[in-house]
Amino acid sequence: MSKLGQVVEAVEKYNGFVLNQVKRARSDEKFGRELSDRWTEIKSKTPVTHTPTGLPLPRLALPEIDEPGEIARYLFGEGLPGEFPFLNGAYREMYLEPVREIETGSYGKKTSSDGAKEKASGNGVQRLEEPTRLFSGLMLAEDTNERFHYLTQHQRTHRLSTAFDGPTLYGIDSDADGVFGKIGEGGVAIDTVEDMVRLYDGFDLGSPNFSASMTISGPAPIIMAMYIAAAKRRFGPKVVPKLRGTIQADIFKEVQAQNETIFPIEASLRFLTDMVEFTTHEMPRWYPISISGYHIGEAGSTPVQQAAYTLSNGFAYAEMFAARGIPIDQFGPRLSFFLDCGLDVEYIALARVSRRIWAIGMRDAFGAGPRGQLFKLHTQTSGRSLIAAEFKNNLTRTAAELMLAYMNATNSCHSNSADEPFTTPSEEWIRLAAHGQAILLEESGIFKHTMNMLSGSPGMKAVERAVERAVLDEFREIERLGGVLAAVEDRYQRSQIQNAAHRYEEQIYEGTRPIIGLNRYRNGSDDIPEVKLARTPRKKQQLQVDRLAKFKKKNAEKAKRALDKLVDVVERGENCFPTLIEAVEVCSLGQITGRLQEVVGRFRPMV
Amino acid sequence: MAAPIRILTAVPICDGHDSAINTINLEFIRHGIEVIYLGYHRSVGDIVRAAIQEDVRAIGISSYNGGHVEFFAEVLSQLRKRGANYIKVFGGGGGTITHDDAVAMKRKGVDTIFFAGTSLMEMTDYVRKHYGKPRKRTAAKLSDMELARKLTEIEEAYAKGKRRPAKQIRNPQSAIRNSNVIGFTGPGGAGKTTLIDELVLRFLSHDPKGRIAILSHDPSVIGEGALLGDRATMINSQDDRVFMRSMATRGQAGGLSPATHDCLALLAQSNFDYVIIETVGTGQEAMPFQQNGIVDETVLVMNPDYGSRLQLQKIVMLDLADIVVVNKSDLQRARTAHTEIEQRLGQNRRGQRLIDTVAKRHRDPGVDQLFALIAGNLSRRVGMTADLSC
Repeated sequence: MSKLGQVVEAVEKYNGFVLNQVKRARSDEKFGRELSDRWTEIKSKTPVTHTPTGLPLPRLALPEIDEPGEIARYLFGEGLPGEFPFLNGAYREMYLEPVREIETGSYGKKTSSDGAKEKASGNGVQRLEEPTRLFSGLMLAEDTNERFHYLTQHQRTHRLSTAFDGPTLYGIDSDADGVFGKIGEGGVAIDTVEDMVRLYDGFDLGSPNFSASMTISGPAPIIMAMYIAAAKRRFGPKVVPKLRGTIQADIFKEVQAQNETIFPIEASLRFLTDMVEFTTHEMPRWYPISISGYHIGEAGSTPVQQAAYTLSNGFAYAEMFAARGIPIDQFGPRLSFFLDCGLDVEYIALARVSRRIWAIGMRDAFGAGPRGQLFKLHTQTSGRSLIAAEFKNNLTRTAAELMLAYMNATNSCHSNSADEPFTTPSEEWIRLAAHGQAILLEESGIFKHTMNMLSGSPGMKAVERAVERAVLDEFREIERLGGVLAAVEDRYQRSQIQNAAHRYEEQIYEGTRPIIGLNRYRNGSDDIPEVKLARTPRKKQQLQVDRLAKFKKKNAEKAKRALDKLVDVVERGENCFPTLIEAVEVCSLGQITGRLQEVVGRFRPMV
Repeated sequence: MAAPIRILTAVPICDGHDSAINTINLEFIRHGIEVIYLGYHRSVGDIVRAAIQEDVRAIGISSYNGGHVEFFAEVLSQLRKRGANYIKVFGGGGGTITHDDAVAMKRKGVDTIFFAGTSLMEMTDYVRKHYGKPRKRTAAKLSDMELARKLTEIEEAYAKGKRRPAKQIRNPQSAIRNSNVIGFTGPGGAGKTTLIDELVLRFLSHDPKGRIAILSHDPSVIGEGALLGDRATMINSQDDRVFMRSMATRGQAGGLSPATHDCLALLAQSNFDYVIIETVGTGQEAMPFQQNGIVDETVLVMNPDYGSRLQLQKIVMLDLADIVVVNKSDLQRARTAHTEIEQRLGQNRRGQRLIDTVAKRHRDPGVDQLFALIAGNLSRRVGMTADLSC
């Protein structure tokens, strides 16, 4: 049985354990009394908060139960926020207004809110890390750098999120055949370590107030090596352990949904594990992988498929890293997740259920400690749910999705702009999207006074049970196919996603899935926003190509030696990541990709 | 009956958005169009080469990742450079291609751009209306182009019901042959395409100047379209030294098309070191290379999952193939399969070779062995013919 099978067993066993505890609480008087006492204590210790109108409310809402069996069902089956199995939240407090900061008036000063806090200290008062993490990347490194500085000019903490252009995402150079027009489009062009130095110029990469996120998977280890090399160039080797940030590096979802894979799957996973082994030892504050369901959801999966494939991918990574000998309690806390949130009713509890399954699986099937059990989640509202027809309705769609995302106690969140069906979002609509979150979290009282404000309705519980059952069924099917890797190679997830996408389109076409303004209440006249496109000028694209040529010429001799050494290490089967950090000093991204492909092959697309 | 329209579809380099084109491809083939699908993340060079070799009427490009104005222009410019601007270009990209972009692209020679909201029916109608009739073409500038057009003539003649139409083919049984012809057959899903692509990779690095031709087949019903998708996974075969042609069987059973024999003969008489022919996935009774007398070496590619031992007795190609390959030999059943097939071949006493491969694995030793065996067998055979002709 693979680990996934053990996870299924662990969840079933845990559910059985909860039922036993319920029975025991009812039959074992002593145990029942202990639970009742604990319940009373929790309630009495819950601080009281006051709404702006003066109404007192508990900061933690709990169900009105006093029967020991029901108390057991709640405490073991769901757990308080921040307690195993984390159904109600990975942390306590989360979005609550911190009492002291209200008094000093510092909370609420920020002009745009793009998400919730990633961390809560747990003792009531928080050091806020600003939640804003705006995804950005355009033209050349210096242009994106300028944008980064503009975005963070009024912020205490600098949380940058980097989008890369097509050639970079596919690990090729800006001088490759036919990519000229794609240089700097949709993201920043990075060919060399020199570009990476320019990209984060002026930011203190070793500061605890700085973190960089990089959205790239296929060539992630090479880009990560460039980031480390660039940091060393600027701050010396001692900066490495201080580096904070996230790199996506999710190969499974690329093969299942997003198609940005450059090496064969097994080689990709090996390079990933090399990188994770290095960062876990040398960069304890780095998140070396963001296990992403978002792209699976956007490619058309059902919500259950999204949760099931994301979780099973996560367990497969954990199994792989553990097999390399990386201690689970070292890498476990460095795994993070990224989910889509659409309008289907499953989203009422999708992340809640995912958090519970992850915690039980990591604890009972992998033996992870408390920090390795946490499903740390970033959510993005669904881009696919937005449509061009009567596009202003997209504001409402996103608002409803935000509500669902926060009802799931996501750790951070990105809200999409209403103009996304047409273009890369423009400033006007980005602002509205960000303010949607601020209105929900700061202006409205829904989430800021009381934890658990909306958790636990009978409907939500019904969705939780149905989703958990369906996710476990998917796990069983994947297990039957021989585990995640075998299922991926068999195109299982890919076919399921494509089939679901097709059904979704058919439902829209037949009208059984209402889309307002498209197949229902259509007014016929579509308004189109004024689209101002930011295209990369030819001159800049040429500049990137010229710089690359200069870099290659300057390093020609050294590059050859560095690549030979890299190949040597790869062939010997050793961890190639340290050698990769050396290689990027003198080799371009495309040179490294090309040479590695000679050794391990190229990814063969699945059609 | 007129031959089906053949078009090529692809997604540009650095772009993995293949969901729209997958849907559109299916709609096209439902309406009788043969679609050669090149896949996503494809360079201009790959697209233009494939369009010329497949001799398509038009190229449809689905672009969602920006840079489309330049990319489409580059496709047109390369077509012109090769004297192939009789091949037309159209495309789309949802909301990413603006109306202004489309104007600029049309000015550079793109026929049309489909915007978000265009129905599948509109696209199909457009293709049938604009690319339904063959276009006048200037004299072929390149030998690949000339060859490609001759193959089209053969296919179209058969579609109109003629037999033996091609004057340009010398007697196919003639001993004057320039190429070694290798036939690959076997059940669907055994991995023939991947295996051939891996052999091509070895050939290209083994012989720095040699050329290779591939005639690949996918099934279709008379009067209907077909999805010819082998190029999308044959990443190593998209190379200037590889001439590849994808054919639909157009209603013929047995794994090949009515025009295959003549097309293969033409390729065998052209200047290739090897000609590889791949059948569609075949059944137990199939013997696709029996009647044509052109194939020098036959390879049966099997999956370890063929069912019971008794099934092996029914597979005719096990009697006829020169080489039998058990691909996917990393599967649990592979050892049993090897033993059972070895015994089955032993009954024939013909010295047939049995090789285990894992074609999906880079540098698989089994594929190396197969390559060495094919190359060795054929060089012996060529030597023998030379002796006889003296």
